[in-house]
Amino acid sequence: MTVHVFDTMGTVASLHTAEPLSHVDLAAVEAIFVRYDRTYSLYDAASDLSRVASGDVRLSETSSEIRDTYALALDWRQKTDGLFTPHRPDDVVDLSGVVKALAIDEAGTLLSGSTDDWLLTVGGDILGSRGVDSVDWSVGVVDPDDRGRLIGIAGLGSARRALATSGIAERGEHIWSRNGRSHYVQATVAADDIVTADVLATAIIAGTPDDLDRISSQWDVDVLTVDRDGAMRGTPGAAEWTRRCAAAATERASTPSV
Amino acid sequence: MTSTLGTRSAPRLPHAPAPSLQVAAKSRRRDHRRRSAAVDGLSILVWVSGALAVALYLASPGAHILGSVSSVVTALGIVAGLLATDLVLVMIVLAARVPLVDRVFGTDRAIAVHRSLGKPVLYLILVHGLLITIGYGLADSKNPVGETISLFTTLDDMPLAYLSLALFIAVVVTSLVAVRRRMPYEAWHVIHLLSYIAVAVALPHQLSVGSVLASGTWQRVYWIALYVVALGAIAVFRFAMPAVVTFRHRIRVIDVEQIAPGVVSIHLAGQDLTRLGVRGGQYGVWRFWTANTWWHAHPVSFSSVPDENRARITVRDLGAGSRRLSRIRPGAFVSLEGPYGLFTAKARTAPYLALIASGIGITPIRSLLEDSPLRAHEATILLRGSDPDQRYLWNEVAGIARATKSDVFAMIGPRASHGDAWQSAEDWNRGVTLESTFPHLLQSDIYVCGPQAWTDLVVRDARLAGVPEHQIHQERFTS
Amino acid sequence: MRKRATAGGIVASAAILALGWHLGADQVAATTVPATGTAAGGAATPSASSGATPSSTASPSATATPTTGTGTTKSSGKAAISGTFQGTTEQTQFGPMQVEIVVAAGKITDVKALQLTNQGGRSVEISNYAAPILRTEALNAQSASIQSVSGATYTSGGYISSLQSAIDKAGL
Repeated sequence: MTVHVFDTMGTVASLHTAEPLSHVDLAAVEAIFVRYDRTYSLYDAASDLSRVASGDVRLSETSSEIRDTYALALDWRQKTDGLFTPHRPDDVVDLSGVVKALAIDEAGTLLSGSTDDWLLTVGGDILGSRGVDSVDWSVGVVDPDDRGRLIGIAGLGSARRALATSGIAERGEHIWSRNGRSHYVQATVAADDIVTADVLATAIIAGTPDDLDRISSQWDVDVLTVDRDGAMRGTPGAAEWTRRCAAAATERASTPSV
Repeated sequence: MTSTLGTRSAPRLPHAPAPSLQVAAKSRRRDHRRRSAAVDGLSILVWVSGALAVALYLASPGAHILGSVSSVVTALGIVAGLLATDLVLVMIVLAARVPLVDRVFGTDRAIAVHRSLGKPVLYLILVHGLLITIGYGLADSKNPVGETISLFTTLDDMPLAYLSLALFIAVVVTSLVAVRRRMPYEAWHVIHLLSYIAVAVALPHQLSVGSVLASGTWQRVYWIALYVVALGAIAVFRFAMPAVVTFRHRIRVIDVEQIAPGVVSIHLAGQDLTRLGVRGGQYGVWRFWTANTWWHAHPVSFSSVPDENRARITVRDLGAGSRRLSRIRPGAFVSLEGPYGLFTAKARTAPYLALIASGIGITPIRSLLEDSPLRAHEATILLRGSDPDQRYLWNEVAGIARATKSDVFAMIGPRASHGDAWQSAEDWNRGVTLESTFPHLLQSDIYVCGPQAWTDLVVRDARLAGVPEHQIHQERFTS
Repeated sequence: MRKRATAGGIVASAAILALGWHLGADQVAATTVPATGTAAGGAATPSASSGATPSSTASPSATATPTTGTGTTKSSGKAAISGTFQGTTEQTQFGPMQVEIVVAAGKITDVKALQLTNQGGRSVEISNYAAPILRTEALNAQSASIQSVSGATYTSGGYISSLQSAIDKAGL
């Protein structure tokens, strides 16, 4: 297995592939992220979106790609009843909630053209693909109280391809829910596409337990949440992750340390 | 159909009818008791269906774990919804003109029951929606408006449920007498047909929201079966069977004869018409397939008993629809639903027969008379008309009366000014009453047909005179 | 309305309602399993656990809290407790939900959300309910054979010391 690591979007991307990729393919993948960063990063004053935020350019005058992305974000805002929104409290349009996922998604499409077995992780958002004869990738879900430990192990590649985790400690920012402080400190969502997983993970953090129920019933996703008291809730699929974790822990405990 | 003449061997005693009349009456009473039992059975079936609807909920575990106010409110809402839908399906079966129902109860009475259920059912549906919204809202800590929005946007089948509610409201409101009177019949009818859509679009949310009818439960199977039965009854008895009848008998108009101002007899030709089994006094729902009459179906009595190839109906123009009938050209194709009605000799239970008709009400009376095997002086007939122009078909009635040795009385003239009597002013002043007209009134089956208000007055007098309810027969037409 | 029909209708209806109630009560009773051994209050705290349990673990604050008894926590000494315990049933929008915990030798080994009313898995709605999961000892990530990890996003600077970097290095 080969691992390729590169900086992008203020974080680090890790690409695991079964077979090594050509330099051309790797360069193309990195280029996708560069393009998205240049267009949407609010940390880069020269990006298109920063210029919209500063008032130099109107959103209606931007490229159709930016407007489509904005429309997508609005669509998700409507679908999540406002829990996910591209509008910051200071009225700046912040598309970072979907941009990372869109970049990963586009990179994934490119990768699938070259190889069947790949796993792309960008700052905790993961998209993977597994060939017909291969075993799913194993992805761990961290324990929000101890970053060195896992509370679940999920399989990605065949049934579910995307996994995203949202937490209140994300980059030190706090996601404030509509009802005050977040009920959940961490939410992990597995879906068939990374945008859905990412958006819903954000939405769950911003919502209440009733919102979680609604979201898990409305979308075909697996969800694992941890609330302020450390209690966990999970859909049947996510419960499987914790069982796998517990089994591995038991196995580990019973194996004499080498 | 000719009647057999009885012999006059036994003297006519004022209080004891002739033995032959008694025997006939006895067998009719037996039939009546059987019909009565059947009606009771059907009524109990309606009760049972309602109880079953509620029992569906009681048999689900949720009914036994009511902890909070919100769950009790929701539970009441669920029960209201189940009961409301069950009654809607009952209403549909009542409107389906099921032959069994017609034979024992009468289609016209079934329609009357159908109409009486409309408003209560709508209230139940509204209560259902309201209580569930409040109940869910209490559980979700949302106000009713917020909860409605949540329900509307979260659950896939809820928009359809709200549509169903809106359609039901439209149907019931337009069926209120005050509103219906102001609408053309066709408009009312089209809106009423929306009730089928209302019923259909309500089903998805019943099957997907909540746990009583969840998949895998016997409740779900029963519920779907209920829908199949109700809608199946419509499909079979309102569409399939009439289609068979129509195409089997190929009825067409051969003549439209004006017999009085505003009154026409439509002569019909067809094949094998005796197979229809029309009894004198019955009616059919007729649809004349011409460009400006095809969308309006009319309930009209047969004004004579059909023979193999000929039938006749007589219509008075009472509105735009019936007026158009008088202009139908010969050759027009006719479709028929029916025959329906219990206004026949089969419904008799008493030894004597009192027939009283006013205006166009003479049509079923005339064919009833034709279809009855009468002994001498078994029947007495009173014909009422507000003016001499209203004497159509009287000659035919007189002819049959002569042949059967029945007595006919005529009453012509405007009503008494106080308006509270069925008699003409002249006869009112003369002191004419039901008792004075009909000998053996209390041992007679009295058949009344005419304008609704007039019929009501006759029936009132009959009841006051002490005629038992099952001996009073009236034809109620408004469909 | 005829008296005979009304009377018959009322009698038949009462019988049906009673039968329905009975059926429902039976179904509820059938899912309540009597506990073997003494009911240990059923509060879902792991009784005895090995040392490295994160201290913030507490009882799951789920919408259906398992409390067959009065909720008093017993100490880990009662190794004899085994059995299946039913929690109280909570009404949710989709029907009644109940939690069942399985205790073996004093340790809670499983927490299940029982769905009393739906056996058919009719739609995503009920079958995808996020039920409480018992917090067990978290797995040390170093000992898991995983290719990636999902948690809060890290900055480029934070990556170096992150778990992901360790995993990536291991794969190279």
